[in-house]
Amino acid sequence: MRARRTPQQNRLLAALPAAEFARLAPHLEHVPLPLGAAIYESGGEQGHVYFPASGIVSLLYVMNDGSAAEIAVVGNDGMVGIALLMGGETTPSRAVVQSAGSAWRLEAARIKAEFARGGPLQRLLLRYTQALITQMTQTAVCNRHHVLEQQLCRWLLLSLDRLPSNQLVMTQQLIADMLGVRREGVTEAAGRLQAEGLIDYRRGRINVRDRAKLEKRVCECYAVVRRECDRLLAPEAAVTAVSAS
Amino acid sequence: MAAAIQNSLLAALPRQSYLRLLPGLAPVELVFGEVLYEAGDPIRDVYFPSQSLVSLLTLVEGHLALEVGLVGREGMVGIPLALGVDVSPVRALVQGAGPALKMNAARFRSELNASPPLQRELHRYVHAMMAQISQTAGCNRFHVVEARLARWLLMTRDRVGSGQFRMTHEFLSHMLGVRRVGVTEAACALQRQKLIAYSRGNITILDDHGLEAACCSCYQVVKDMHEAA
Repeated sequence: MRARRTPQQNRLLAALPAAEFARLAPHLEHVPLPLGAAIYESGGEQGHVYFPASGIVSLLYVMNDGSAAEIAVVGNDGMVGIALLMGGETTPSRAVVQSAGSAWRLEAARIKAEFARGGPLQRLLLRYTQALITQMTQTAVCNRHHVLEQQLCRWLLLSLDRLPSNQLVMTQQLIADMLGVRREGVTEAAGRLQAEGLIDYRRGRINVRDRAKLEKRVCECYAVVRRECDRLLAPEAAVTAVSAS
Repeated sequence: MAAAIQNSLLAALPRQSYLRLLPGLAPVELVFGEVLYEAGDPIRDVYFPSQSLVSLLTLVEGHLALEVGLVGREGMVGIPLALGVDVSPVRALVQGAGPALKMNAARFRSELNASPPLQRELHRYVHAMMAQISQTAGCNRFHVVEARLARWLLMTRDRVGSGQFRMTHEFLSHMLGVRRVGVTEAACALQRQKLIAYSRGNITILDDHGLEAACCSCYQVVKDMHEAA
């Protein structure tokens, strides 16, 4: 059932025209993304960018006092390290593996050079940047306006969209850290979703049992992010689909 | 053309690139309360504020919910266009009246294609803007209204270049994503400490240092980010 390991598991790499992909392919290095590993530290330098093939990377905003909250998730729909292409040598956020998997990585100089050519890769990554901005914006709004249960639903759905199965391996403490709330709040919200048969949560594993109900329960933030992501990536993907089929 | 370039994004361009842009830039006066784009609308023009201030707001269930960006003389309104997207995901609302330079979308696109320095400057600005959005997300999660109001007043001051501006309670409540009563309490607290004066929608910053001490660390973080960019 497990697909062969190819860079095309990442949707951005898959959307590149053949010529662009061929230039990058020899330099793509397959690396594991172990759970909890920090890909970048806030304020740190970025030697590589990462295109996840599987697993999820959380971008966390770290406050001066050390508390942190997730501002976006990146899976096989994206790239970690956009700041590098926007002229920022350091990243303002911390990037941590939230769900183990693997990624294709590329040296900073290599991606910068390709980006500077101004071709399809630049266009694709700029559009992705806009999708990421939308996700960050919606997270900020959701943090402010929606109850924890809705935020939890949003987070579950966004995470699951980036995973091949409907199971998440995740402690309640980790979820609380991602959402920037206390663990008790997560326990309570997850307990309610479980009691109503939407999810099954035991020993650090969350199984979604009723995705349709979960989608009904979630706030509009989920749909906004998903729609934007699909819309922004679709046209570029369509261009390559013609040559691929 | 003796006047200094007030928008710092334009000012950072090499002379040659700036002169190339100039014929396409039309001076406009932005009016308080004017909506430049609605969320979901096509972006017909981009704006480089000089002394005006534009707020980027997200909506939830059709209602104003939260300010996620504040654009003044350090930036440009219409960033999605620079990223190849021609629809605005947010409402752009003029929050400080004043002059700006405007360029239509088609012209902007072709100028952008022709000008690597403009691309570079805009990408740097995008980077700073992303820092601002993530900081807003974090700040909203962790910091109390009073500190956030102080931060917001300082950000506004930096962008309009003046410590005096007009602002209703209702507007502030959208900016900060809190109820009006929360804004009233926070504003009173700052007023009691003689950091600001607030009457009939006019805000005057009385004590810059005091206000900087009253705000959360987010203010300095984003400021540094903008300055580094």
